[in-house]
Amino acid sequence: MAPTSQVLTKHSSNVRTIILNRPQQLNALTLEMVSQLLELLNAYEEDPSVKLVIMKGEGRAFCAGGDVAALANGSWKQGAVFFSRAYTIDYLVATYAKTQVSLIRGIAMGGGAALAIHGRFRVVTDNTLFAMPETALGSFPDVGSSYYLSRLPGFFGEYVGLTGARLDGAEMLACGLATHFVPLEKLSLLEDALCKANTGDPEIINNIIHDFSNKNPKLKEKSHYFRLKTINSCFSRRTVEEIISALEEEADRNMDDWISWTIQALKKASPTSLKISLRSIRAGRLQGVRQCLIREYRIFCTILQGKVCKDFFEGCRALLLDKDKNPKWEPSKLELVSKQMVDSYFAPLDDEDWEDLKLPVRPNLTSYAISKL
Amino acid sequence: MDRVNFRTQILTRHLQTHQTTTDLLNTAPCVSYTPPELSEPSPNFDTTSLRKLLDGQSVEDIDYIFNLMIQSNLFCPRERGGKVFIAPDFNQSMEQQREMTMRRIDYLREKGAFDGWFDRKGPEGDLWRFAQAESVSVFDHSLGIKLGVHFFLWGGAIRFMGTKRHHDKWYKPTETYEVKGCFAMTELGHGSNVRGIETITRYDASTGEFIINTPCESAQKYWIGGAANHATHTVVFSQLEISGVNQGVHAFIAQIRDENGNVCPNIRIADCGHKIGLNGVDNGRIWFDNLRIPRENLLNSVADVSPDGQYLSAIKDPDQRFAAFLAPLTSGRVTIAASSMNTTKIGLATAIRYSLSRRAFSIRPNEPEVLLLDYPSHQRRLLPLLAKTYALSFASNYLKMIYVKRTPESIKTVHVVSSALKAVLTWHCMRTLQECREACGGQGIKTENHVGHLKSEYDVQLTFEGDNNVLMQQISKALLAEFLAAKKRNKPIRGLGLEHLNKPAPIIPTHLTSSTLRTTQFQTDIFCLRERDLLHRFVTEVSQYQSQGESKEHIFTVTYQTAEDLGRAFSDRLILQTYLDVEATVPEGPLKSVLGLMRSMYTTIVLEEDASFLRYGYLSTDNAAVVRKEVLKLCSELRPHALSLVSSFGIPDAFLAPIAFNWVDANAWSSV
Repeated sequence: MAPTSQVLTKHSSNVRTIILNRPQQLNALTLEMVSQLLELLNAYEEDPSVKLVIMKGEGRAFCAGGDVAALANGSWKQGAVFFSRAYTIDYLVATYAKTQVSLIRGIAMGGGAALAIHGRFRVVTDNTLFAMPETALGSFPDVGSSYYLSRLPGFFGEYVGLTGARLDGAEMLACGLATHFVPLEKLSLLEDALCKANTGDPEIINNIIHDFSNKNPKLKEKSHYFRLKTINSCFSRRTVEEIISALEEEADRNMDDWISWTIQALKKASPTSLKISLRSIRAGRLQGVRQCLIREYRIFCTILQGKVCKDFFEGCRALLLDKDKNPKWEPSKLELVSKQMVDSYFAPLDDEDWEDLKLPVRPNLTSYAISKL
Repeated sequence: MDRVNFRTQILTRHLQTHQTTTDLLNTAPCVSYTPPELSEPSPNFDTTSLRKLLDGQSVEDIDYIFNLMIQSNLFCPRERGGKVFIAPDFNQSMEQQREMTMRRIDYLREKGAFDGWFDRKGPEGDLWRFAQAESVSVFDHSLGIKLGVHFFLWGGAIRFMGTKRHHDKWYKPTETYEVKGCFAMTELGHGSNVRGIETITRYDASTGEFIINTPCESAQKYWIGGAANHATHTVVFSQLEISGVNQGVHAFIAQIRDENGNVCPNIRIADCGHKIGLNGVDNGRIWFDNLRIPRENLLNSVADVSPDGQYLSAIKDPDQRFAAFLAPLTSGRVTIAASSMNTTKIGLATAIRYSLSRRAFSIRPNEPEVLLLDYPSHQRRLLPLLAKTYALSFASNYLKMIYVKRTPESIKTVHVVSSALKAVLTWHCMRTLQECREACGGQGIKTENHVGHLKSEYDVQLTFEGDNNVLMQQISKALLAEFLAAKKRNKPIRGLGLEHLNKPAPIIPTHLTSSTLRTTQFQTDIFCLRERDLLHRFVTEVSQYQSQGESKEHIFTVTYQTAEDLGRAFSDRLILQTYLDVEATVPEGPLKSVLGLMRSMYTTIVLEEDASFLRYGYLSTDNAAVVRKEVLKLCSELRPHALSLVSSFGIPDAFLAPIAFNWVDANAWSSV
């Protein structure tokens, strides 16, 4: 039975199902939830009777991410505890020794998306909605996303990470964030079939999911993915400033809703966030998931410490607390964010009590989230 | 267990029933892959700080180019053993490889990677340009060379040998690749001896044109990168004859193809054909059949010809004119030295990672087989090369810095240091690759594993931009000149790090110990002693020949043995000095300790390997034995840091090889 109400578990012979259960808050992660998830994932990995772990969300969302509004209020050290646990979960999922399937129904954002994306089998469906919306909040795409975003085709990852673009299930499958697309009405049948199969053999699991899948879900007419060519030519630029000016040049040639939305999204986001995010994704492309998480932890702790810039607190205020949707970023312009400022997010914190994220030693280092070639 | 018992057991096993044998086979664990990250101690120093010492302020520029390459299908990404690797497809034909090189350059250009190539000023600009060239070479030497020929040789000739009129005309189309440049210096008959080239150019005052001619087959331009397929323009090096007087070698701009890629009239081009490596570069041969070019196409920074055909130059001495003319092209040697270090890093990172996951032979029965790098012999093969690579990389950075901060006064130093380091670093690169190839066993033979294949790709470094042996002799000539000039002025010798010659000769302890060997004092002393003594020997030898009335040219041909030893001695002392300078910038702590360890490894291995220490008696045979023992000890001390040290190279996994990671999965049946 369920240890507590925020995370439920279901046992079916050798299969364990973890259910995120805060439906009113779209299953947003609390410290209690991450602590429980950590315990459960560790326990299942060690328990020889467990062969397959399924993860899903209760209600209409998979998981809306970390409950950041709560974090913005606490001390930065409390926040650091939350993130060190959340990132450890991401690392466990990325290197999980047992077969693991995430059924991503509804919203999967930020830290919520990461729970699933790092895993081996990522099943999306008709109403799946993915986004890494952090730059609008004065933060940056973390939770190991610098690993998986940077491994998407071309420079789609930079686009998704900087603009917070929302992707549906078909788009996630197309770009490689998801491994399978299963129509909504078949999702619970799939879950039953997985439980019934009672195996951890990845090939059998793959075949079962495959049988329920729609192999080629149609991308919607206005899909971001159709803009990959423009995305590649603009989001591959060296700096955020150059990306924006490349987009503006493109807009001069072919203005449409998508390009004006993209430019707007970048102009609305925190300038500091954009610069940190771009650099973090680019660094992530050259690193393993472990190094990515360690770097992101440095960045988030620096953000929470609030010495260089307070945009995260301002973002939480404007979007989550006061909801005036009008954050005042400081520095307010990209050109005011110096290289030294950005550098400071990537360096160890200047605080005696702080140390780099300590991730557990894992039996394997294979990470599943590699993009399709 | 003694041998007899062991044999008995084995024989007993053979005699057991079939069933039991099968069980044994079934229970015997398969060889599995364990990532070195799990089996090795985690770094005890900050690997990012060490990478900063290697790549300095260029880290971000380099990583950006890596990002661009990794994300494009033009760079042939392949999944092997759960990781994505990028590498050129060397199974393609020469023509296909050449086209791919060009398409990769087009891609990088479209991404804006070369924007502002000529506009970036000062040392930052130079460092940025170096970073671009070096980072593409990590993917493929052909790509680096193709880029280097266009921007550093063609672009560099326009920049440094040309004047404003050339800059205005050629910078922009060069940056955008509307003009594809090449650099026609070497001829079939003349390579290192540039002043001996036979192409001849005369001036026709009636039309205001130069006429370039290839007078004989040995004057055909040879090995001209870009000439066979793509180049539209070239810089031609040629003797300039004005009114019957040869004014020496000058450089001209000539168009060789039209905008449609057709070879121009009065030009003949042939292919150099398939090569042992670098087949992504279209090396060609060019003949000029009295080609007429406008007077303005003479690159006139040093000398010019007036419309009415007067030869004008501020530098009267042809030797000096030639030196001034070629001096700015040193940048080629700087990039070659730096690129050779990147290649060395790829080889070592691959071989060392493999040696930390591959096992061979059990020392005792029923025990697991031993990790390759746990064999002292394997450590001896790879770890000294690792320490040396750090030392040489720091030296390469020093070269870069003196190049970008060059002044008219420092040109000589830049020339000598670049000659020395180009030779020493490229030799080290080839030697390391061969050792790495062997250290990877059969896997080193597979092209996808890089270490073996890179040898043929990089071999040419030892020859182009100055044959290594010729360069080493040039160092000794320069040192001799410095020494004699100081003596003549009756002043202490200064520059090139030779100031130690003004002090009394250092004394080397009669009985060396392990701790002495590790002091900077001793290391500096013995390297200085060797340089000083060899320079004195060289001076004596040369003056003896001089007193016999021999010509300078002849003397240098017969004193080459001492000259080469001296060249080595100079280089090793310089490398140690730059290493100490880097070390001094690092605060006390684990990183400084490991740097100290590597420095001792570097100096000790030089003492062991270079015969001159014994040959000239700087080391007694007893002391040489102490040195040899110390190498073993240093290897075992460096062993725990091996993984962290190759990780600090900053070569992304995608540029390494499948054997550097999960080579079992990479070769599994399911991946076939």
